Amino acid sequence: MAEAVKKKRPPIDPNSAKARLGKIAAEAYSSAQEAKERGEMVGWCSSNFPVEIPETLGLAVVYPENQAAGIAARGAGERMCNVSEADGYSNDICAYARISLAYAKIKSAPEQDMPQPDFLLCCNNICNCMIKWYENLAKELDIPMILIDIPFNPDYEVSDAELAYVRDQFRAAIAQLEELTGKKWSEEKYKEVMEISGRTSRAWLKATACAKYTPSPFNGFDLLNHMAVMVTARGKLEAAEAMEKLYEEYEENHEKGESTFRTEEKYRVMFEGIACWPWLRVTATGLKSRGINMVTTIYADAFGFIYEDFDDMCRAYCKVPNAINLEYARDKRVKLAKDNKVEGLLVHTNRSCKLWSGFMPEMSRQIGEACDIPVVSFDGDQADPRNFSEAQYDTRVQGLMEIMETRK
Amino acid sequence: MNVKELLERFHKTATTPREQMDSYLAEGRKIVLTAPVYTPEEIIHSMGMVPMGVWGGDIQLAESKKYFPAFICSIVQSIVELGIAGTYKGASAIVIPSLCDSLKVAGQNWKYAVPSIPFIPMTYPQNRKPGFGHTFTKEGYLRVIKDLEEATGERFDDEKLAASIEVYNAHNAAMRALVIALAAHPEITNAQRSDIFKSAQFMRKEEHTALVNELIEALAAQQPGEAKTRVMTTGILADAPELLAILDENKIQIVCDDIAAESRQYRTDAPAEGASALDRLAAKFCEMDNCSVLYDVEKKRVAKIVEDAKTADAKGVVVLLTKFCDPEEFDYPLIKKACDEAGIPNVLIEIDRQMINYEQARTAIETFMELL
Repeated sequence: MAEAVKKKRPPIDPNSAKARLGKIAAEAYSSAQEAKERGEMVGWCSSNFPVEIPETLGLAVVYPENQAAGIAARGAGERMCNVSEADGYSNDICAYARISLAYAKIKSAPEQDMPQPDFLLCCNNICNCMIKWYENLAKELDIPMILIDIPFNPDYEVSDAELAYVRDQFRAAIAQLEELTGKKWSEEKYKEVMEISGRTSRAWLKATACAKYTPSPFNGFDLLNHMAVMVTARGKLEAAEAMEKLYEEYEENHEKGESTFRTEEKYRVMFEGIACWPWLRVTATGLKSRGINMVTTIYADAFGFIYEDFDDMCRAYCKVPNAINLEYARDKRVKLAKDNKVEGLLVHTNRSCKLWSGFMPEMSRQIGEACDIPVVSFDGDQADPRNFSEAQYDTRVQGLMEIMETRK
Repeated sequence: MNVKELLERFHKTATTPREQMDSYLAEGRKIVLTAPVYTPEEIIHSMGMVPMGVWGGDIQLAESKKYFPAFICSIVQSIVELGIAGTYKGASAIVIPSLCDSLKVAGQNWKYAVPSIPFIPMTYPQNRKPGFGHTFTKEGYLRVIKDLEEATGERFDDEKLAASIEVYNAHNAAMRALVIALAAHPEITNAQRSDIFKSAQFMRKEEHTALVNELIEALAAQQPGEAKTRVMTTGILADAPELLAILDENKIQIVCDDIAAESRQYRTDAPAEGASALDRLAAKFCEMDNCSVLYDVEKKRVAKIVEDAKTADAKGVVVLLTKFCDPEEFDYPLIKKACDEAGIPNVLIEIDRQMINYEQARTAIETFMELL
């Protein structure tokens, strides 16, 4: 194993992107809580629901997936899962869903509290599990659910039929929300939100693309933290500004030869799948201690939505990673791997995510061949700590490093 | 044929689908495989081909493990396993809908695991009640038609579809009547009941309808056997011989079901009216409800299970939960709660296609019987 060469950790500058992004992520919860206390309706919203809709309508929403990740990262994943399992939910069900259903029942988790919902905004472009989870929330809490159904696209391109179906649903969802909340859709406001969301997304994608530099100006695990803002606040001006700052900092790091990966970058890998939140430190350390920088992941780029008009926005939401066929999903990753000069692929076989993991063996084989890089996988879970083995992870990462070393 | 002969015929067809497939192929008919849960079989039928259901098999998995992680349901894994093994050799195509996450990945893996049999995706809408849901369903069917024409060389004709819709609606009616008829005849075992449902997947529907109607008529003339404990089953599948034997040994009679491979297939008919036969078929899907893979915010399925159990005078509900089936696993806590509140005893039995030891299921059923 490479000897870790630690660089001195600088104090956090309150004007840094990191500090600003952390503040925005925290405010996503506090501002929703304040709205609730003012008597406004609050929604629970799935991570890839078109945020432009609640943002334009001025609705307060919070994100159960983000909350579940936070709860899991702070060590309470198992405790919350136990609550829903006691109610009869199988431990094979997505752990985010188990945590969320538990939270809806017990309404408290000091690790990450958030206001209870008055309505639900569901979009299944990431999985159909999302529909089942939100159906149960709607039933148990007796609140309305608005579903935008974005089907898994078996083709490479978004067809006119799919676009029309999704566009009609966007319009229907807006009308339903107007009726439910009394808020009104404004085209002017929408244009503003669209512009900000695009600005945030462009800055985010430019920042993540800085991994093209060798060494990378950042530790890829930083992206997993900053991503929370992309999920919860990409339509907000302060998010756009903070992401632009992040990009500037990464460019500056590159110019100065610095990086937030505070050891020598010996190897560069792409990470596949959702982060293993309960074991974030272990998974990060297992790489860093070997000088392996996880420079890129589709998971981070997935939250950068670039589009030019309403139809284009609908198309963008049809193209999120879990809604696309194997070939398109493969090609996006091959591009990332090549653009960022990746030497290996580390795949998280995520017990919680059937869709993400379900064709990963075949796709990762194809990526490995296309990029001529070794592929190694490990078993884990995005939020249930019981589905991860530190020893297996360590062995697999060591194996990956050894193959990469022989290919130097 | 008498009841015994008819039941033997259903059993043979249910247990030897390959023979059935070979005989259709020998007749010069093309076979199109149809994966769970719903596919537009009427379209395939109308094009002169035979849709044959593929719901996997009770086999050990080997080759499919190269494509799927262990936590994908064994139904889709065994479909691909059988495909790789050549069990479906001679089929012209497979239609796989994307109604759950495991089915979505099954289609993607199929392309590489079984390249000799073309994959035809059927993308259904979940928001199927508004007009745009109907339009999208129809678009999905048009895409299936285009792919079928390319894969098989056969041609689609809306008038022929109208005739096939009549065949399928008649089959639906026969299967619904069958459930009622069987409920009055405890001497028909659960294994025999399963054979009738399973054979429907492997036969042309007009042939199956004729046999089912013949059975219903023959049963009407037969004295019902000794009463057993009446239950309702719910889940995706209920065809494992070992499991059915345990139910039979415990003198349990399935009097109605909410099984995806059984009654859920036959609840909804294509409506009589529509702009075209294809519109009528799209309307059939849009009208479907009470199923774990169809968006159901009111959880009408749960209420229907309670209602059906009461109507059929079932003394309990047996939940056959297919392992790793998200849609069913999410519904289970609500089903249990609703049954408990309605005072209907219920038992959970987890099943999959790789089960070898059924002793845990036996114990659960025996305990359940004591409770009843």
